[in-house]
Amino acid sequence: MRHILVAKDFRDGFVEMLPACVGLVPFGLVCGVGAAAAGANWLGSLGMSAIIFSGAAQIVAAQMLAAGAPIAVIVLTTFVLGLRLLMYSAAIAPYLKPLPPRWQNGLAFLLSDQVFAAGIRRFHVGDDPHGAALHFLGSGIALWLVWQLACMAGFFVGNLIPSAWSLEFAVPLCFIALVAPLFRDVPSVLAAITAGIAVLALSHLPMKLNLMAAGVLGIVIGTLADLLRERWKPR
Amino acid sequence: METALKLWTVIFAVGALNYLSRLSFIALFARRTMPPLLARALRYVPAAMLTALILPMVIDWHGTPADLATPRVAAALIATAVAFATRSTLGTLGAGMAALWLLQWSCAC
Repeated sequence: MRHILVAKDFRDGFVEMLPACVGLVPFGLVCGVGAAAAGANWLGSLGMSAIIFSGAAQIVAAQMLAAGAPIAVIVLTTFVLGLRLLMYSAAIAPYLKPLPPRWQNGLAFLLSDQVFAAGIRRFHVGDDPHGAALHFLGSGIALWLVWQLACMAGFFVGNLIPSAWSLEFAVPLCFIALVAPLFRDVPSVLAAITAGIAVLALSHLPMKLNLMAAGVLGIVIGTLADLLRERWKPR
Repeated sequence: METALKLWTVIFAVGALNYLSRLSFIALFARRTMPPLLARALRYVPAAMLTALILPMVIDWHGTPADLATPRVAAALIATAVAFATRSTLGTLGAGMAALWLLQWSCAC
């Protein structure tokens, strides 16, 4: 265990994730406030952030619990919301292939929007899967720890923050910091534009299904553009 | 049902499904190669999925162009430009929040 914690890649991953973690603090505060509003005690709030470990799922689950929705509906809704994790899992799978199953199972738990984006960037550059896995572990643990602290802080003192500060706007800003650097090739831009239009146009769909539908549409358009670009390339 | 029991049932059910979603393809492709078309498609997952997550948080869409003329949209565009140019998370956060506060303060809306 100790040799993992002192490895350079682990520490790099941990430290490089901290700026993104700062941005997630407001998101965690909002989740903690939501858990308190749903009638959870501090242990229940901690259980949500530690076990579910997904801001979007926690917020929706808390809101639906507060509204008295049946368990089955809550579970189904958050599952649909979490379907993007399937795509992250598929995208990162080839890079985790050289690792032992124990590592695959452990790293899978830490897979989230931010960790995925940082991890995939690191896997792209290096041909050292074990270094990248340590980097992934470091960034995942950093995010997990900060997430617990932020949600706990939100649970206890989140209601003291003035709403005029619009701190919840930091949540989309975190995602913008991840996605904007990807807009350097035409298929990625087309994928984003398609998904963006679709998510708004389909916003009437129940259970936030518009998120999944828009994601799939964007991926299809991006892939088609990629295939067409290859065909037109002068050879 | 008692509140605490219901809460913990939700926590473990949602947590388990989330974990299975995360593990799904990692376990599935552990011992075989991925089809090239799937591999190509997966390159566009982040751009599409993250954009789909972001827009509803920025735009309160009711189907009119006026929904786009808000301090949030302007601040998000500025943040996007900063993120594209600098790739800095904290720079993006700083620019986006500063732009939002300035715009909200200057038009008091």
